[in-house]
Amino acid sequence: MAETFEPKIVAFVCNWCTYAGADLAGTSRTKYETNVRIIRFPCTGRIDFMLLIKAFQNGADGIIVSGCHPNDCHYTSGNFHARRRWMVFKSMLEFMGFPTERITFSWVSAAEGKKWADLVNETTDSVRALGSFTDYKNLDFSQFNQMDHEAIAR
Amino acid sequence: MKQLQDKAAELLENGTVNLLIGFSEDLGKRPVPCFIEKAEEANILVFNQECKNNLSVYLHKKEVKDAVKIGLVANIATLRSVMQLLSENQLWSLTLTYLTVNTAGELVVLSSAEELEAYVQANFPTCRPEDKEMLDKLNAMTRQERWAFWKDQLSECVKCYACRAVCPMCYCTVCTTECNQPQWIKTSADTSGNFEYHTMRAMHLGGRCINCGECGRICPAGIPVHLLTAQMNQEIEQEFGGKTGWSLKGGYAMNSFKPGDKENFIK
Repeated sequence: MAETFEPKIVAFVCNWCTYAGADLAGTSRTKYETNVRIIRFPCTGRIDFMLLIKAFQNGADGIIVSGCHPNDCHYTSGNFHARRRWMVFKSMLEFMGFPTERITFSWVSAAEGKKWADLVNETTDSVRALGSFTDYKNLDFSQFNQMDHEAIAR
Repeated sequence: MKQLQDKAAELLENGTVNLLIGFSEDLGKRPVPCFIEKAEEANILVFNQECKNNLSVYLHKKEVKDAVKIGLVANIATLRSVMQLLSENQLWSLTLTYLTVNTAGELVVLSSAEELEAYVQANFPTCRPEDKEMLDKLNAMTRQERWAFWKDQLSECVKCYACRAVCPMCYCTVCTTECNQPQWIKTSADTSGNFEYHTMRAMHLGGRCINCGECGRICPAGIPVHLLTAQMNQEIEQEFGGKTGWSLKGGYAMNSFKPGDKENFIK
């Protein structure tokens, strides 16, 4: 029996808003897709773009980045800095031809358990439609590497 | 040329500068950087259109910093990067004198940061036409074509880090590329890690790169890596305003924010 494709989604969320929002979704018994792996950060300002790249490097098919709404940041301005960084990072990736539709940015507050559940469902659906993220894996040129290793082994 | 050599000799003679960084002729090839400590050696100096190196990168070297009073025979890109470095508080231990040739072919001596600022603002360089053309071409492509373009280009990269070494803005003593716990960028002798490395390099230079184009010029594989930062600069200038290397006050675009920054992709 052929296995159906289930995307791996990594969610980078801030401790104060989105993590609490996801918690609310849980305590409210809201059902949502189980494809998501949540990683908790102190603030969206802490979410380095290299972490996003690292997630793709390790086989993620989609990414959610979420934190407090503007003006709601626990540390006053972390999400404003993060917003600028994402704007630049996104345009940078687009310039390199990276499929940025695999990264979903969102603001989810601690009271928005429903929004979190919807966000995860929507993202999972869209990534499922996009399919497995092979572009990145192909960047490794593993074919050539394989050949090299074989040549060395011989 | 004689004027420049005489002025350089004079500055070295009267102790205004201890070390002069400039260009000398290299047997019919393009001029190469040279370091002059004695007034009588100043006659090897040349300055022309072919002097493309960004000499400000040497200002981070300990051997150069030890000289304290430094003269720089600089093109406009070098002056602009010095402006950016001054705004980032990187050259506080140095007393700098700048020698340059303006568009009318006259020798200009700038001995203070304020004079430098005025000169750079009056002669501010624009994006090179060949870069602009290339950027427009890439931006007109589809996403898949761009991906294919960069995949093809970056597969040539051997991670020699020449683009990092030549960049005056890459002055961190410990770079993400050397970080191994966790290892952000694979160091293996194949093409994996190239995408990560170039994204990282461009992101860390966002809002700081002064578009001198040295990284692309120096690349032994001929990868136009300077286009990544050029595109980024263009984007940052449009979105957040401000030009890199324009004022001594600085203000790094990625280090500040406006509550009203507009984006259209955050749900």
